[in-house]
Amino acid sequence: MVEHLADILAYPPIQRAAIACVLCGVSCSLLSVFIILMKMPLIGVSMSHAAFAGAVLGMLFNVNPALTGFILCLLAAGILGPLSDRTDMAPENVLGIMFSFLMGLAFLGMGILTRTKAVALNLMWGSLLSLSQTDIVILALITLLLVLFVLLFFKEIRSVLFNRRLAAASGVPERIVYYALLFLTGAVVSSNLATVGGLLIFALLVQPGATALQLTYNLKHFFIISAASGIVACVSGLVVSYIFDLPSGASVVLTATIIFAAAYVFSPKRRMAKLKKKEYGP
Amino acid sequence: MGEHIIELEGITVRKTDGVLLDRISFRVLRNEFIGIIGPNGAGKTTLLNVIAGFERFRGTLSLFGRRESWRRSRATRLRIGYVPQLFQIDPAFPILASEAVMTGAAGRLGLFRSPGRQEREKAIRLMEMMRVAHLADRPLGQLSGGERQKVSLARAILQQPDVLLMDEPTANLDIAVQKEVLDLISEIHRQEDLTVLFVTHDFNMLPAAMRRAVLLDHGSTVFDGDIDTAMAGKTLSALFRYPLQTFERNGRRFVSYG
Repeated sequence: MVEHLADILAYPPIQRAAIACVLCGVSCSLLSVFIILMKMPLIGVSMSHAAFAGAVLGMLFNVNPALTGFILCLLAAGILGPLSDRTDMAPENVLGIMFSFLMGLAFLGMGILTRTKAVALNLMWGSLLSLSQTDIVILALITLLLVLFVLLFFKEIRSVLFNRRLAAASGVPERIVYYALLFLTGAVVSSNLATVGGLLIFALLVQPGATALQLTYNLKHFFIISAASGIVACVSGLVVSYIFDLPSGASVVLTATIIFAAAYVFSPKRRMAKLKKKEYGP
Repeated sequence: MGEHIIELEGITVRKTDGVLLDRISFRVLRNEFIGIIGPNGAGKTTLLNVIAGFERFRGTLSLFGRRESWRRSRATRLRIGYVPQLFQIDPAFPILASEAVMTGAAGRLGLFRSPGRQEREKAIRLMEMMRVAHLADRPLGQLSGGERQKVSLARAILQQPDVLLMDEPTANLDIAVQKEVLDLISEIHRQEDLTVLFVTHDFNMLPAAMRRAVLLDHGSTVFDGDIDTAMAGKTLSALFRYPLQTFERNGRRFVSYG
């Protein structure tokens, strides 16, 4: 089996798929830390629909779908930031409205698309084996940007994740950190349309962070565990899909769910909380 | 006459649902401890938000001798510490008590600089002062409300501000913990030479260091003067529209139903 896998890895499309899996795992799972800790899972859904709607519109007007997907994602991030900062609207409501609007836009585009819809549908669940060199380079650059963002601004990120208002009050440029995060979400989601697709990426933007939440109280470890579980889900999902001849995106998402379930069952944090409850009563 | 470090002139905040602050004017001297007191909906928190730079306003606000809009420079923000009401935190949230205190230094350190030994030692010293040093390595979400508020105080002081804004810091704490936190606040005021603006609606839980009160009602100032006069039964009855009386015990005034 191992020999067979090694043979398969000699093919460039498989190599590209494997690299894309790792990059997708790292980028999505680092973002999932923010999404989980800021309790904004709808960001992922909204962004993936923005990317999907942008790509469909690109197809409609014969422009590179990846580019239009990316532009619409950045546009969505640019609108979402100031809107969610308004005190008269709850951020989750803003996200909900944006999500439904973008979904409507995407389906409108699909409806009036005269060409075959198969290419557009591919963007929903990705196609790892048809990735180009350019796709990989773009994905690698965006992942690198995200990793640098986390490493260089860790102190500011911790403050913002802890409490945005307190971060602002203590002189941290919280709005810049928050907006940068939204733009990076847009960039990561649109660059991963070709890998896991707009529909399944949502799972990878939530599950690795949710897994890390079960296992650690240390934010640095949180990022590392999240990234590791994302990579493991992506790579093992791909291997499983190859061995059992299953759709790769679905395998990746189901593997991520299994990892989360294991983390939940064996969570030391949950055990500690249970012990504390027993000690002090309900 | 000392230096006025906060000056408000005709501060007005309007929202779609009405006027939250209506032409508020007063000045704060360095090292003063002022209570911003009033019933629910009086505009106390809005006033604090204006000074903290979280709220758009009309009128003139000067901080440290400089006129300010609602947007604040980093330099001004660093000089104003903020302690909010006890807020909920997910018990699983990945931050230790000492790390939460350290977030107070994040703005002062600036970009691309990590907290060093000096900041860590100062954080622990402040946690000792707040009597929570033994909880430094505990997840913040697992601390009690009182312990979290003490961590919050240490975080605000690590910022090394000149002014400390406190928005009902003892709300939702039990009576013994309230007293402990109030004593710590008075101690901080004295030791760190801070100017403090303390928002509350509870006349029976005022820090001993508070000497002046600004009473607000429906967004307007109804009284500005020494705390003893503010505590007169007539003033409070008018403010809360309810018969109240005050009595003195062990040199302190208390409020009761009239």
